[in-house]
Amino acid sequence: MVAETAKKFQALESQAQTLMSVFTDAGYEAVAPAVIQPADVFLDVIGETLRARTYVFTDPDGDELCLRPDLTVPTCRLHLARDTMPEQRARYCYNGAAFRFQPILDSPSHPSEFRQAGIETFGGTSKEKDEVETVSTVLTSLKAAGLQDIKLRIGDLGLFAALLEAADMPERWRQRLQRHFWRPEAFRNELKRLSADQPVALKNLPDDLMRALKDANPMEAEQSVSDYLAESGIDFIGVRTPMEIAECLLTMIEDQNADPLPTDTAALIESYVGVSAPARAAGARLRDLTRSHDIDLSAALDVYHQRLDLLQEAGIDVVHTDFAAEFGRSLEYYTGFVFEAYAPSLAEDIPIAGGGRYDNLLQAAGAENAIPAVGAAIHTERLLAAVANEAGPHGAEGEGQ
Amino acid sequence: MTDRLTLAVPSKGRLMEQALELFSEAGLNIKKIGHSRGYRGEIEGLDTVDVAFVSASEIAWQLKVGRAHLGITGEDLIREQITDAQNRVSFLKKLGFGHADVVIAVPKCWLDVRTVADLDEMSASFRAAHGRWFRVATKYMNLSRAFFASRGVNDYRIVESLGATEGTPAAGTADLIVDITTTGETLKANGLKILEDGVILNSQANFVASKSADWSPRVREAQNQIMQALGV
Repeated sequence: MVAETAKKFQALESQAQTLMSVFTDAGYEAVAPAVIQPADVFLDVIGETLRARTYVFTDPDGDELCLRPDLTVPTCRLHLARDTMPEQRARYCYNGAAFRFQPILDSPSHPSEFRQAGIETFGGTSKEKDEVETVSTVLTSLKAAGLQDIKLRIGDLGLFAALLEAADMPERWRQRLQRHFWRPEAFRNELKRLSADQPVALKNLPDDLMRALKDANPMEAEQSVSDYLAESGIDFIGVRTPMEIAECLLTMIEDQNADPLPTDTAALIESYVGVSAPARAAGARLRDLTRSHDIDLSAALDVYHQRLDLLQEAGIDVVHTDFAAEFGRSLEYYTGFVFEAYAPSLAEDIPIAGGGRYDNLLQAAGAENAIPAVGAAIHTERLLAAVANEAGPHGAEGEGQ
Repeated sequence: MTDRLTLAVPSKGRLMEQALELFSEAGLNIKKIGHSRGYRGEIEGLDTVDVAFVSASEIAWQLKVGRAHLGITGEDLIREQITDAQNRVSFLKKLGFGHADVVIAVPKCWLDVRTVADLDEMSASFRAAHGRWFRVATKYMNLSRAFFASRGVNDYRIVESLGATEGTPAAGTADLIVDITTTGETLKANGLKILEDGVILNSQANFVASKSADWSPRVREAQNQIMQALGV
């Protein structure tokens, strides 16, 4: 965006004040984390894909820094830097600029520099209550900013984890499916691979090494790997040890010899991922689905329904809230409940606000232990555009999409 | 509005020799103006064309911003330096020289890693053992990211390397590399092997036109003359 008009600047400023006063009235402490962040911490948490969209630069001292691509990680860092007891419950709110490179050209709905207003709750003990409070505070603030028609979409990555836990398979397969959940295509391929009758052969591994590794314990396998490398004249370079390589080879062999994932289980996982329905109906559908596959998911589903009840008690329109099992796949750091608010006056695929639970993020940002965390952020330029669209062409400022 | 066409050709090495050869075979003699170590030239008989001798990577940038109308450079450099290449340039012709592959290479001693999927599989155990993601040394940051993203690999870190990339795994500054290779000999000599499905791009020298340059009718005419001679 080249520049903005003074009028739009003022509109954004006054909207931010409205949002922030809803947050602070609800008890969230206003903070202003640094715009410039150490690239290292950030990139480790968000991964290379978002890095491609992050403005990374080197300062004159040679340190690698970045312009924050969101305010969640900076708020986590701020919390850890100032709080000697980071696991105690703390609630923060913020409003500030975030920066993301837009591969083609930036557009009003996807600017490379935008303002985020948001809230974070760290260290709470009653997870569902904190999640509902987050949704409810965000929806209240959107209404306070003048948005009338708001739709809600939810997902629950905890359900998926519970489903994998309940299904019978080796632990490393669970971890693998969990890891691939973020990448739909890789996930489908992995599922196909695990349930195939004929697992992919370990081609290109020399027969004598394969024989040596058969039924070997890790120590023996390490020796076989070292011997093989020495005999073949392959230099040992890099930080990985022969033991690491031996262990990975043993895992591969183990996978090859394991019974394939029952097609029934694979089908259940596929059907789970495909569930998309109004929130209550989706819960019922998941119960039926798991029951017919003789898998007990009731504890996780009870939590799901309990959360819906809490949402309803908070005055949120649960009847018109949609659930999608796949939802939450785009941002890797979420670990549980996720939600998105969008305005029909803008577009369904452009969320105005979104958030969820990310219980691993604080630890990744430097905390000693995992600390529960839930938060949400509002894309304030989009909110302003959606409110203007609702007002119609003669509204305050006819900001198009 | 400019009336002159700027043609950017590589300023040194085999790539320059082969580019000049290509033109002279087509009856277009490129000669330098003034000092023989200078960087400006012309095509005999085409007085509306300026030739600029620039480094191969600079050519990609000049085409991107429209400072050059036409240029000869490797596809790898174009794809690396222009994230939306299809909107900024047109590839007019593959020139049949300057062949090189951009590949992923890992230490030969990684017997358990033969494919990109194996690499992804290894990332979790690597992090558990070393407390960090594995590092990929490369000067092709964008090509690497796009390739890994398309294969669903996200758990790695890139370290930018501007020279002697193939030595970084042995030196310990990176764990594997994405680099350019023609015969694979340098990789082998450094104890590396190419992953079975690790070819990111088969690159060669290309004749490329800028879409953002100022294309006046006179410039178009000059382009047509060059293209006709080259048989593009």
